[in-house]
Amino acid sequence: MNRRASRAGDQPGPTDAELAVQDAADRPSVTRTLVTAAPPQDGRRRSWTSSTGRRPPSTSSIIRGTALTAGAICMVIPIVWAVLSSFKSQSELAKSPPTIFPQSFTLDNYRDAVESFAFGRYFLNSVIVTFSATALTLLINAMAAYALSRFNFRGRNFLFILTLATIMIPLQVILLPVYQMVSSLGLTNSLWGLIIPPAATPTGVFLLRQYMLTLPDETLEAARIDGAGEWRLFWRVVIPLCKPALAVVAIFSVIWRWNDFLWPLIVAQDDAVYTLPVALAQFSSQQVIPFNLVLAVSVLSILPVIVIFLIMQRQIVQGIAQTGLK
Amino acid sequence: MSAPAEASRPPRPVRGGSVTRRRWWVPILFVAPNMIVFGLFTIWPAINGFNISLFDSSNGRTFTPVGSQNYQEILSDPEFRSVVLHTLIFVVGFVIGCVLFGTVLALLLNAQRRGRGLLRAAYFLPVVISPVVVGLIWSWALTRQNGLVNAVLSSWGLGKPGWLSEPGLAMISVVGVGLWTHVGFYAMILLAGLQSIPANLNEAATIDGASAWQQIRRITLPLLRPTMLVVLVLATISGFQAFDYIYTLTGGGPVGATTLIVQYIYEKAFQSPIQYGLAAAGGVLFFVVVFAVTLINYFLGRRKGAV
Repeated sequence: MNRRASRAGDQPGPTDAELAVQDAADRPSVTRTLVTAAPPQDGRRRSWTSSTGRRPPSTSSIIRGTALTAGAICMVIPIVWAVLSSFKSQSELAKSPPTIFPQSFTLDNYRDAVESFAFGRYFLNSVIVTFSATALTLLINAMAAYALSRFNFRGRNFLFILTLATIMIPLQVILLPVYQMVSSLGLTNSLWGLIIPPAATPTGVFLLRQYMLTLPDETLEAARIDGAGEWRLFWRVVIPLCKPALAVVAIFSVIWRWNDFLWPLIVAQDDAVYTLPVALAQFSSQQVIPFNLVLAVSVLSILPVIVIFLIMQRQIVQGIAQTGLK
Repeated sequence: MSAPAEASRPPRPVRGGSVTRRRWWVPILFVAPNMIVFGLFTIWPAINGFNISLFDSSNGRTFTPVGSQNYQEILSDPEFRSVVLHTLIFVVGFVIGCVLFGTVLALLLNAQRRGRGLLRAAYFLPVVISPVVVGLIWSWALTRQNGLVNAVLSSWGLGKPGWLSEPGLAMISVVGVGLWTHVGFYAMILLAGLQSIPANLNEAATIDGASAWQQIRRITLPLLRPTMLVVLVLATISGFQAFDYIYTLTGGGPVGATTLIVQYIYEKAFQSPIQYGLAAAGGVLFFVVVFAVTLINYFLGRRKGAV
């Protein structure tokens, strides 16, 4: 009886831990802690000299580790190669076979790119569009999510279903009619035209609504009894409580808007309002491609997202898991 | 209008409705900004897109109603047929690759303990990089003469294939770059699915003497099926929408071999000769196909899941 209980994982004794050690190829961390806590008594598994009490690596785990590492290198190498190459001289870039590490490290490509390409303006446009669009998205999505989650009103379910249904209508499908709408509102060739139209995102509303549904009624009631108006309640109570969900929406919005290409390509016809991706694509489709410059600008334009990614990695991956599963 | 609603409301509704003197227009004000943007730039254009597809316009100003003529024209257009064919080839390759590699990658990552965070970051990195830059980097890495890929291949004595200049290979390159960009995204969704499978099922199977492969086939994959279905649907939609990295990788070439439906619609709507009607009809057909394929995926997956 006791033994069965321990097998189910309630109170595992050292015997069961050992059983698991012998049989399981891969164990979740729970069992692993047990193993370290209760080292094997008989020493049968001790053929591998170890000071940490870890099990010797099995063949399958070596194969797995090698395959994963090889794959990871294949994923990263094009990016690393591009970054390294951006420090190469023009003659070295034209070399065949290509080199991996720059032989003569130079910053000329970056200097020339910033000078000849109006990099500053495109970068500034990208920054303005990314950040104001994200702020707008967060504000209007959170407001809508608040109404859809915390109020009972007529048409609430209709609006919510309508919002969800539009996930099926991507921009690519309605390219032309959206452009006509933007152009009839006089928003083409202005940063507003880049910022406003994609600001209402169905996934953002959905994610925030799901999160707001979990907020305790008591907190909101207490604030209401204290005489807070709805706007104050939203701004001072709901928004601070929703920080984790808002952070997820914000990260995705920033990455998406920074990288977006098709929409800015259509709206920005004048190069004064180009964002970096559009400028880069137009620049690289010229007759004679100054490849060293394209490379330097590419590296500069992916740098901010890579930094954001490295800092926020955990939140990004968790956010993907949450949004993807719903 | 609001009075009967107030009266019929129970004294303590489930969520957030307990203040009875609440004004009915307050929630409307909260949803309004989002719904205005939504209505103007998604819902109305979707309706209007269907409307435009029934008109003919060569200059973009005068519209003459032509009924279903645009649809007849586009369906008999050999260019559109080849675009649809190439899109389907791309989507099938892309979706199979995403589900297959994504699942294998997620299973491997789930079993891996040491350095998992770092490995996960490496696989995920391409997801956050601008598709335009992805296309540029790969267009350079796949160059015939001094690209990185051919440098490696020729050092193994495998010759220098024209990855971007031969139609068949170009399609393979485009699918490959698509997978490189997106597989990390789907692997993370599948990894989250794997981690929600209770560990004691596998422990019990281990005690009963099931091999690792048997556990994957009999326990993990059946329980992962709902997540795989999500990935299948998301990858299908994403595959149909592929445009930006292809645009900078091949520009749709060689000779239209990698021109997919989004690029076709973009060119008909924004590049001369401008054909608004055809672009709108293409958009409507595109939507119908994506919608149908998504539904089929969904129901096929559901039925399999039930057995």
